[in-house]
Amino acid sequence: MLLVGFIYLLLIGSAYLVFFSINPQKSRQSLKIAGQSLIKLLPLLVAIFGLVGLFQEFLPPQLVSKWLGESSGFLALLIGAAAGAIAIGPPLAAYPLAGSLIAAGAWPPAVAAFILSWISVGIITLPFEAQTFGGRFALLRNGISFIVAILCGLLLGLLL
Amino acid sequence: MIRTLIRSQWLLLVTVALYLWAFAVAPERAGNALAMGAGTFASVLLLIVAVFGLVGLLQVWISRELIVRLLGREGGIKGLLVAALCGTLLIGPAYIIFPLLMSLQKQGARWAVITIVLTSYAVKLQMIPIEVGFLGWPFTLSRAILTVTLAIPTGLLVEALMERRQL
Repeated sequence: MLLVGFIYLLLIGSAYLVFFSINPQKSRQSLKIAGQSLIKLLPLLVAIFGLVGLFQEFLPPQLVSKWLGESSGFLALLIGAAAGAIAIGPPLAAYPLAGSLIAAGAWPPAVAAFILSWISVGIITLPFEAQTFGGRFALLRNGISFIVAILCGLLLGLLL
Repeated sequence: MIRTLIRSQWLLLVTVALYLWAFAVAPERAGNALAMGAGTFASVLLLIVAVFGLVGLLQVWISRELIVRLLGREGGIKGLLVAALCGTLLIGPAYIIFPLLMSLQKQGARWAVITIVLTSYAVKLQMIPIEVGFLGWPFTLSRAILTVTLAIPTGLLVEALMERRQL
């Protein structure tokens, strides 16, 4: 992953060089936004990777495969989607957690449902969504997105 | 001040508390966990920095305002496809995204468009290298394609249910 990161950094770096020659002011603004978002997210990233370490060392694989394993079938999908709906955080944080769940023996469709509902279903943000768009829309959208997260997980199982 | 710290960094505080507990109960395993976490973080750090460089570029060259204008302009199926694409590029916490989309709805955008953006939001094009790093290509690609494909029927379904009441 280090190599991928290096290549990606090189690509983005060259993109910046090109954009700097087109519009230095906008490019400086881009760099500033990049730096600020990264710094703002840093404590969360530290927390997430700290959790990933704890997961790997302390989370018993039997427990993960019991709740999220393929043998649990639909229940695993439901648990994955429910955990994602309760959890809150940026998409970036979902991937390392999802990766450590799969490493511990979770069923990929359940993990896909987890990522999807992590990002598009939010029980904690529900009051705010209801306040912004109205209660009917907020409930409909979150409810249907929850079902779609499970459906997407199922379909992913067929594709993989 | 303490309250805002707890509210904004509760996950970090929980993690620190878990580590303190782990070090008290099983110092050796806690050390392993810390080392594994730090190792994983170190291995993706370059990638994360690069991704945020891209985030900065996209935010400036494809600003949220531009996305809103794009979303407002098109109706029909083309508008729905644009919405699916915009959702995958849009970045930001709920307290920025929701009001942005609501202003769009007030300007006359369809409920389907709002829902599609919020559904395809679950795919982040600029973060795909990170997702691939943790979950591999087959998983990442399948998930992205399925999410964007399912976003449109989801939007239409929510819209149909929203409009039923008004009949």
